[in-house]
Amino acid sequence: MIDSDSVKNLAGHPFDRRDFLKVLGWGGAAAALSGCGNTSIEDGKETVVSYVEAKDYVIPGVAVYFNSTCAQCDAGCSITGKIREGRVLKLEGNPESPINKGKLCGLGQAAVQHHYNPDRVREPLLRKGDKGEAISWEKAYALINEKLAGVKGEEIALLSGDVSGHQKVLLGNYMDSLGSKNHFVYEAVSPAVVRAANLKFYGVEMPRYRIDKAKVVLSFGADFLGTWVSPVHFAQQYAAFRKGVDGQRGVLIQAESKMTLTGANADRWLAVRPGTEGILALGIINALGVSTGDVAELVKDYDKARVSRDTGVEPSNIDKIAALLKLRSPSLVLAGGAAEGYVHGMQNAAAINLLNQVLGNVGKTIEAPVSVPFPQMAPSKGRTAALKDLNDGLAAGKYKVLFNVATNPVFTAPASYKFRDNMAKAGFKVAFAHYLDETALQADLVLPLDSEMEDWGTHVPEYLADTVQINIQQPLMERLHANTRGMGDILLALVKQRRAEEYKAFDDYYGYLRSAVLQNKAALGGAGSDDDTFWNDTLSNGIVKLSGASGALSLKVDVSGLKLPAPKEIDEQYPMNLIPAVTSNLRDGRHTNQPWIQESPDPLTTIVWDSWVEMHPKMALQLGIVEGDIVKVTSKTGSVSAQVYLFPGIYPDAVSIPIGRGHDAMGRYAKGYGVNPFEIMDAVFESATGELAMHETRVNITKTGQRVIVVKDEGPAGGRQMGRKIAARVSTDQVDLSKEV
Amino acid sequence: MSVTNLLDNWAAVRHFHPIDDKPHDPYKWAMAIDLDACIGCNACAVACYAENNLPVVGREKFKHGQVMHWMRIERYWEEDGRDFPDQGFQFLPMMCQQCEAAPCETVCPVGATNHTQDGLNSQIYNRCIGSRYCSANCPFKVRYFNWYDYPTTENVWPAEMNYQLNPDVTVRGKGVMEKCTFCVQRLRAAEVTAKGEGRIVREGEVQTACQQSCPTGAISFGNLVDPESRVHKQWQAQQVDLDKDAQEKNQKEGGTDLRGYRILEELRSYPSVMYLERVRESAV
Repeated sequence: MIDSDSVKNLAGHPFDRRDFLKVLGWGGAAAALSGCGNTSIEDGKETVVSYVEAKDYVIPGVAVYFNSTCAQCDAGCSITGKIREGRVLKLEGNPESPINKGKLCGLGQAAVQHHYNPDRVREPLLRKGDKGEAISWEKAYALINEKLAGVKGEEIALLSGDVSGHQKVLLGNYMDSLGSKNHFVYEAVSPAVVRAANLKFYGVEMPRYRIDKAKVVLSFGADFLGTWVSPVHFAQQYAAFRKGVDGQRGVLIQAESKMTLTGANADRWLAVRPGTEGILALGIINALGVSTGDVAELVKDYDKARVSRDTGVEPSNIDKIAALLKLRSPSLVLAGGAAEGYVHGMQNAAAINLLNQVLGNVGKTIEAPVSVPFPQMAPSKGRTAALKDLNDGLAAGKYKVLFNVATNPVFTAPASYKFRDNMAKAGFKVAFAHYLDETALQADLVLPLDSEMEDWGTHVPEYLADTVQINIQQPLMERLHANTRGMGDILLALVKQRRAEEYKAFDDYYGYLRSAVLQNKAALGGAGSDDDTFWNDTLSNGIVKLSGASGALSLKVDVSGLKLPAPKEIDEQYPMNLIPAVTSNLRDGRHTNQPWIQESPDPLTTIVWDSWVEMHPKMALQLGIVEGDIVKVTSKTGSVSAQVYLFPGIYPDAVSIPIGRGHDAMGRYAKGYGVNPFEIMDAVFESATGELAMHETRVNITKTGQRVIVVKDEGPAGGRQMGRKIAARVSTDQVDLSKEV
Repeated sequence: MSVTNLLDNWAAVRHFHPIDDKPHDPYKWAMAIDLDACIGCNACAVACYAENNLPVVGREKFKHGQVMHWMRIERYWEEDGRDFPDQGFQFLPMMCQQCEAAPCETVCPVGATNHTQDGLNSQIYNRCIGSRYCSANCPFKVRYFNWYDYPTTENVWPAEMNYQLNPDVTVRGKGVMEKCTFCVQRLRAAEVTAKGEGRIVREGEVQTACQQSCPTGAISFGNLVDPESRVHKQWQAQQVDLDKDAQEKNQKEGGTDLRGYRILEELRSYPSVMYLERVRESAV
């Protein structure tokens, strides 16, 4: 049994550190690395020193495993870290988590490269002209205190990404102690419009989707296998869905303007004119012919001919889909990023939700979520509108002090925001950062954060697969750099500056978390066990599972406000739609400096290490463009130049550039690779929610005359198999799945 | 020997591993990959980088075809004159097929690539002289050559990044060939543990890194000669025999309604990986 003291020691407790787990691991690595030559140990420069007193759970050569939580995205997958000789080597999924059930995506795997990244910030840095000067933490804290003196609460702003658990509690309490209500929760890529539409329709922002119970899934651009909400969880549901309910294999239909990973796995992929997803949904309701009253009235004009003309989907496909949806029930209809990224995004999402209601899916494949019993810890989800509000405030000179918790708005704000300039208007800018990214470079004080493998924390995922779960984050190894700190420890130190009395009992964030968990032991399922046992069990499990109440969805069908605009006329000057693609590896670009991510081929194009402009071969032929041509993509806002990749999975009037590359800072693996589509994104907003309408930008394409070799994994044959049976395919009527194991 | 004679008497010319007096006992490691479950997400490939100390070669070397991904996701689409790939793409995880009569083995001038008792096609790094004949002879193109000394190449494993290296797996130097090993370090550990306890490795006791991470569970791996293993059951249900170069089920009139197949089976390399065809709905 590991007592709480040892756990503290293993974690490299900041105020009570011991030089334990240090020596052996590094020697081994040097030997492995230097091949045939002498190691520094053999050379006598280093000495192998055995422990005077070996800990009973550290056996050289034998791995130990600790549970924690993945922080690469906000899905909240639980992880098990393999640790040997004090080094974390590999992450696996924790089988006990209902969210990821032992599985982990490539992005999650790459978290070790975030932890060991050579470009991490290692010292608190204070701006001296263009340079950062390393200072001590005491000085940094004192400086913050000094800069806050005399500043009114409303002049202080804090920007963070998605946040939950005790970090959210401390953040809230700190802002409260400053008398500020300006906590902006921002994520560059988030399904905020769908959340708003869901809230209106189902009474909750994020219901539980049961892909595994559905016989047909019709997804309007929801990339649930790649990037949407909780991809690893949905991928597992998808596997069950393909195996089938009652032996009938699930059918996936994906309607979107640019193929996503999910679209690439569809039984039928429909290329939809950008922005007409809602029209297609109403067209399908019309073709179903089962609605009455208001709904029938709403869809009566959406006959096949018109819908086909507007959306580009063939009438026969609309018929087939309607027939299939009628025949196989329950089904599930999803609205994703591609549907919500327009001025009328909310209307699109509402039309799609209405289709679910018409099909009778609500309550069958769309269930009420469990509610988190501790609202203070429940997740605050980021919105792009939050950044707009902050930016407006900064532009107006409202804020004197700006805290930025590891977000990168200089990189992810549309260029027209002029965020970099506006940020300069705040007198004192503090960035809590892992890397010197574009935003941290603009700060006056950069405070280096621990990696997720060095830090403590609790997280409550937004999308709960089963019961309520509080995910535990704990250090998997000793802190790699002496002068980084956990965000929790920093917040605790800062809040102590204001409310010393209330927080004096807690030496550090570890102590705070332990007290917090033990204080509520009974509610967390630990009634009857003693403190040490319960705390150790909690850490050992990595998850606290609670039974949460799950009510019914309060469905509210009101179609009176539902009105979809006709497809936009083609703009002569900017004839193409720009689709900024969210890819499963890169997401919003915060992980681009992890080399496995850079070298992991994009699943659809197989391109690595660079950006590209996806263009339909037909359109390319028309424009006289071939693969590798460098084209200039120009919008009203600006232009970028990148290589063309001919890609058949895109609506011909659209081009797509992936988000996440085009960094001009951050680190050696990110800087200088590719272009950033945010630089040409027009600032157009969704009308009901104020979210950035990311798919509304129109562009034109001009050749620059340059051509490069596209660096990609596919061979010269491209997507063709040259008559060989390599990746074989069979249709359902030719195969008997019932005999399978 | 004429080509006709060679083709007619292949079995006599080419030994099948392991040869008769040493049958697959107690292990024959094999795999089955369900392409209908595979979503092409790349989790397996990244897991392989993490487990097997694969170097990240960078943009320039990638351009020259020097990428070292032991596991890659191949991606295909049917062209047949349509405007859009309206039945999606086809993804195929491709790695060493651990052939029973591996074409790479016969051409190695120094015997660096061998067949093991438990049915793996092994690569002995410090015997390899880098002739690259094996790679030339591999029908699946899954062998990767160290054109550079990656451990000392800038930004491959810079300080701290090297701490992630798996101590159970050798870091390869310049001039040697490498490839997927079915995570042999995990197999050996499990085999040794089992032997110490006087039993054989049980189903589920050992997983390859790719299998462990796969979000849809598309990859199954295990001991093909263990009737309890999922892999054994899958191969049997799909009527795919390890030692055939043409499966009986395909000879039947009207073909088969089973979807198990091996890639380039007709080349008689007897791969140890069975794929299950991707399924697409006929109603839409």
